[in-house]
Amino acid sequence: MSAKYTILKGIDIAGLNFLSPVVRLATGEEPAKQMKEIGRLIVIPTLAFLAFFWLWAVVAPKHRTKSGEVPTPSVVWDARAGIWRFHNYETAKQDGFLLQGKERETELARATARIAEVGMLEKIARQQLTAAREASTVKFDTTVAPAKNAYDTLREISRESRKGRTAALKAEAATLNTATEEARLAFLQKLRDTQARTEIDKLELAKLKDRYEEAQEITFPEVKDATRANTVLAEEKQFLVKYIDMLGKDSRELKLAAAKTKLKETRTSFLTATEGDLYRLGSGIIKNEKFIKTTASSKYAKPWTLPKQIVRSLLCVFAGFLLASAIAIPIGILCGLSATFMAAMTPFIALFKPVSPLVWLPIIMIIIGGFMPDPENNAFLMFFDKVPFIKNYKIDPMFLSSAVTVALCSLWATLVNTALGVGAVDKDHMNVARVLRLGFWSRLFKIVIPTALPLIFAGLRISLGVGWMVLVAAEILSTSEGIGKFVNDMYTNGSSESFAQMFVVVFIVGIIGMLLDRIMVVFQRLVSFDSAVPAG
Amino acid sequence: MRQVEIFNLTKSYPNPYGETFRAVVDFNLNIEKGEFVGLIGHSGCGKSTVLTMLAGLNEISDGGIIVGDSEITGAGPDRAVVFQSPCLMPWMTAFGNVMLGVNNVYPHATKAQRKQIAEYALCAVGLADSMNKRPTEMSGGMQQRVGIARAIALKPTVLLLDEPFGRLDSLTRMELQDVILEILDREKITTVLVSHDVDEVVFLCDRVVMMTNGPAATIGEILSIDFERPRERTSMMKDPLYYQCLDHLLSYLTERAHLRTDPRIHDSSNLLGFTGAKVETAK
Ligand SMILES: Nc1ncnc2c1ncn2[C@@H]1O[C@H](COP(=O)(O)OP(=O)(O)OP(=O)(O)O)[C@@H](O)[C@H]1O
Ligand SMILES: [Mg+2]
Repeated sequence: MSAKYTILKGIDIAGLNFLSPVVRLATGEEPAKQMKEIGRLIVIPTLAFLAFFWLWAVVAPKHRTKSGEVPTPSVVWDARAGIWRFHNYETAKQDGFLLQGKERETELARATARIAEVGMLEKIARQQLTAAREASTVKFDTTVAPAKNAYDTLREISRESRKGRTAALKAEAATLNTATEEARLAFLQKLRDTQARTEIDKLELAKLKDRYEEAQEITFPEVKDATRANTVLAEEKQFLVKYIDMLGKDSRELKLAAAKTKLKETRTSFLTATEGDLYRLGSGIIKNEKFIKTTASSKYAKPWTLPKQIVRSLLCVFAGFLLASAIAIPIGILCGLSATFMAAMTPFIALFKPVSPLVWLPIIMIIIGGFMPDPENNAFLMFFDKVPFIKNYKIDPMFLSSAVTVALCSLWATLVNTALGVGAVDKDHMNVARVLRLGFWSRLFKIVIPTALPLIFAGLRISLGVGWMVLVAAEILSTSEGIGKFVNDMYTNGSSESFAQMFVVVFIVGIIGMLLDRIMVVFQRLVSFDSAVPAG
Repeated sequence: MRQVEIFNLTKSYPNPYGETFRAVVDFNLNIEKGEFVGLIGHSGCGKSTVLTMLAGLNEISDGGIIVGDSEITGAGPDRAVVFQSPCLMPWMTAFGNVMLGVNNVYPHATKAQRKQIAEYALCAVGLADSMNKRPTEMSGGMQQRVGIARAIALKPTVLLLDEPFGRLDSLTRMELQDVILEILDREKITTVLVSHDVDEVVFLCDRVVMMTNGPAATIGEILSIDFERPRERTSMMKDPLYYQCLDHLLSYLTERAHLRTDPRIHDSSNLLGFTGAKVETAK
């Protein structure tokens, strides 16, 4: 097989069909047709996306909330950078705290140089902000003030003229005592006209008011940008101050060194001390030794950052997914094999499948809490503290509850699909098995499971998707560290910055969900023997 | 020596309204060891029903079947079946499909011996070069060859073929007929072939059993095909007897299949053809 077809086959298996016209075009196969395909599979979706962004950028600022206006795509993009900066700063602090010797000193020098630089930049940024503010005041005066004047003047005029008209009409009314019917009707008409006039004035006034308010609402992008630049620099400076401390006086190395010198001193005095001081110095030594021991293994208590929370969410969803598969596949196989067992399971499936994760979670939290009254010393949880990689993600009862909730909500798709797949075993294949007198286990592993595998994977794919969706909800409710917790924190925070960061999460969750689905599609295709699996 | 004895074999299917539908009634036939018996009849008369009962895949309503010296109770590898569709496991290679049966039938053989048996069977059907192909990579003819290899690798006492070439084009069909003949000349396995291709049965079989039309189908006539073995297609096709046999079968199918008489035995001495033969009317 040529390289081209290997590539095309890979693309097909991965379900990335939009790439295949590109490959075909690159090899000069029917260019006109490929261009058409590229238009359909790449250009149109891209245009649709751009249209979506444009619409978003236009519509979002129109709605004001207590956390500021709904963020536009560019604000969300900046928020993403903010999340990433926070993560990098915290990681740097964590690493800096542990640096030693020469390395620590060079890093310290670098950070000190940078802080001076940042100070300079900050000064410039502040000037720019002041300038932008001034410019904006001028602009404000030139646009808003005239609009306000126009509005105020017209309001005054229309009020005066209305007063005049009313007075004139009242005066005329006084003269109508003896007037004829005609004269009276003419007066009524005049009254009508005057009121119509007032309505017109009102409309005019409302128009001017709108214009005035619009002018007031003009935001000044220069000021916004300058403010943001300032904030970014201020953040960096704050970080650097802390960072320099951690590399300098608060670094583990220096703390340890100081403690050791002190220990040595106390020891010398202890050896020569008289009875009065002996007790004090002795316990001082012991205290110091303890301090050295804890410091030697201490670490910077890094707060949870979004990247770490994402990894924890992934761990959680996989834990739940594995649990779901471990339950659903065997039960599904039993259901498919035995109509009786299926009949026994049907009410459970029908009853529990529609239950929302928000109902399961509190119940499961309480149940798991019952198993682990003392999570700090629980043997099962402590086991995870020894597993490399996983030990960094603090497996706690909240994590387990979220994982079990994910499992409970996602296992149904796999169960039902497995049962269907097993039930759909070809009658002819079963006849072959009878002729060959295959035993139960060979039938199961050589015929039943291979037949059912594509459907099992279709079920697993749905399960993983459902699980990922359920997980974020579960984390929000259980405040288990993860993407959901991040969203919850941002919601509680309520600033416009955190509002934008929630939008970032939408995209992160979406992209990860999409990748998980892609992976499952690949597996599903690899176990399917003939028919193509829909990619959508 | 008698290998298979079918006596008073009857099959009734329940229809959806609770009545019974008698597909095959009082089917009596003895088959000698090493004999090749063909079973023909109109579509739906019950050929597959008889064969699947013989295979043990279909429950027997009445009567019985003795293979060797015991009555059959279910399916087993002593009665290997080649189905009309190859029925291969698409997730296994040709070799894997053959091994599936071999592993189960020779549990005491060593791994190397089992491998040898499977390879031998695949070579016998002419698939020496395609053992590691998956069914999806093989043509229909090749898949059917695997099906045949899987059956003969079991070293069955009776080989049951249900229209094994029905879905193949005529060239491939002839190739596979030769393959079957070659294997059977060597292995001398008792064989029952269901077919509605009269050329095929005349070429392959020692005796052809003609079934009456259903429902309640049974044996109408039996014709012995008196050609020597090993057989060779071209020389057989030059022999007038070949065409007389064809004529006999065709005239049965077109003129006498609806009749109910006691089974009549024919051989080269009392052939009936389209012309000249007087047919008795039904009782
Ligand atoms: N499972 C079943 N339930 C009810 N009736 C059946 C069943 N299987 C077969 N029959 C009936 O039994 C009769 C014989 O069917 P069978 O499949 O044996 O015919 P056949 O001779 O093999 O036909 P063909 O040449 O088309 O394969 C038919 O009338 C059919 O409708
Ligand atoms: Mg049939």
